[in-house]
Amino acid sequence: MRPAAAAVLFVLGQAAPAQEITIGPQAVLASYREVVSGLRYAGFGFGGAMSVRFHKLSVDGVVTRVKLDTADGSAATQSFTATQFDVWVGYDVAPYASLEVGIIRRTADPELDAQSVGAVRLGARSFYEIGPGATILFRANYLAAPKFSGGGRAPFSLDLGLGLDVRLAGRLRGTAAYAFQRINRKTSPGSTGEIDAPIQETVGRVGLALAF
Amino acid sequence: MTSLRRLVVALLAGFVAPATALAQTVQNPTLRRAQQAYDNLEYRQVLTLAQAALRERLTGPERARAYELLGFTYGAMDSILKAVDAFKQVVLIDPERQLDPNRVSPKAYSAFDVALRQVLLVRQLRVDSTSFVGGQGAVPIRFTVTQPARVVTRAVGSEGSFLIDSSAWNGQVNLTWPARLANGDPVPAGSYTVVVDARLGQNTFAASQPVRLSHGRVDTLAHLTSLPGYEYLPETEVPPQSWRPLGLAFLYTGGAVVGTVGLESSSLGSGSKRELAVVGGAALVTGLVMTLRKPAPRPAAANILYNRLLRDQIARRNQEIAKENVARRQQVQLTVVPLPKPGAAGVR
Repeated sequence: MRPAAAAVLFVLGQAAPAQEITIGPQAVLASYREVVSGLRYAGFGFGGAMSVRFHKLSVDGVVTRVKLDTADGSAATQSFTATQFDVWVGYDVAPYASLEVGIIRRTADPELDAQSVGAVRLGARSFYEIGPGATILFRANYLAAPKFSGGGRAPFSLDLGLGLDVRLAGRLRGTAAYAFQRINRKTSPGSTGEIDAPIQETVGRVGLALAF
Repeated sequence: MTSLRRLVVALLAGFVAPATALAQTVQNPTLRRAQQAYDNLEYRQVLTLAQAALRERLTGPERARAYELLGFTYGAMDSILKAVDAFKQVVLIDPERQLDPNRVSPKAYSAFDVALRQVLLVRQLRVDSTSFVGGQGAVPIRFTVTQPARVVTRAVGSEGSFLIDSSAWNGQVNLTWPARLANGDPVPAGSYTVVVDARLGQNTFAASQPVRLSHGRVDTLAHLTSLPGYEYLPETEVPPQSWRPLGLAFLYTGGAVVGTVGLESSSLGSGSKRELAVVGGAALVTGLVMTLRKPAPRPAAANILYNRLLRDQIARRNQEIAKENVARRQQVQLTVVPLPKPGAAGVR
């Protein structure tokens, strides 16, 4: 019994350092589509990510600011800047899996050029150390109770993520993250009844981080 | 050679052999002549000369030898009772006298044996050399009592007399002396004489053996750095190289790709997936690098646990050793060595 417990503790210790804080800047690539295929944007921006781990508990936060320009062939005429806040609070339920809750808040500037959205995240993530100091992550979040600046509702919203964290040297880490977001927004603009106004966003973030 | 002649030669060999050892020490001329007559099988003359020698001034060994010649001669002449009487005189003069049954005639040997059992003697008193921790051993003492008797055994030294045993004994006796005082302390170091007193009615006999008893420090035990047969195991191990990192990178990236493609809205169309390509590519490259890289040593949990148990075991044993050493420093190592008896260098 004791050797088994020691082995589990050992694995847990390997997978998740007891206490750690990482913080660093990130370059951001993003694509955004809304309502119809012709309304599409792509852009580049910057952001920052911070992560705090205490034993089995972890808190991750990301802030990005991306200027989304109209993509080639897009029907859109006006670019806008999207600022997004993401927060996750996770609890390790296994050496390679966590349950997590969080929030997402994305605002558009100018406000009327795109939907601003806020929602609660509910989901899970799986992570694995594929080598010394290299951890890969996959997450799936359901976006519950979404609120849109233009009104409407979204009975199905999902956010998928892929993450990579590699120790480059000492405290320096290289980070990369991908997120795909699909929101099945429905809205009732008038007497036409409820219509689909989906939102789809992909974000790629690459950056550096310092670990303490 | 006839059987009779062979018997005569055998008897000659048996009777002559005991004489040879003492022949050179005999100084008395009459006794020397008696010895010569015995060598020539002139038994009548042996009897005359030996008895004449006994009337002269003889040393102890010479007197014993004279009686011994008489004993052998009476034995050869089938005068067993007289032989027994002669041998009784021999053992009274020299209680340690022993005949070799392979070298003397059966008649002489049986007469000697009967003589031994008719005289109260304490023979072959032996105190073996020994060394032991006070209170944890004893000095072995052996002797033979030739008749049933009350035997009192003591150790007598300058520090006093210590009773070892007081019992009725007959034959071979084995005793042990713990060399302790009544309060449990070891007896003082010094020279002692182990005295065995045998009493049967009016007859008494005593034998003694001097010994030297010395005190020493008890050896302490060295602390252990390892246990025999058990060695520490390496606490890290290099895992075998595997494709697992790349496989996991494929799995996780594949999940993202499948999820993205599956969830894309048909009304919004398919995107460029450049973000996925960047991050997914980074994940795959990292997986490949980690696969090709020599695995880093990782802690071997089982070995760490084993080493911890081994260290605990050694620490526990060392605690016991330390405790035992504390006790040993308060103990005394007693060493007993028998000393030569005064005058024992001479021939019996």
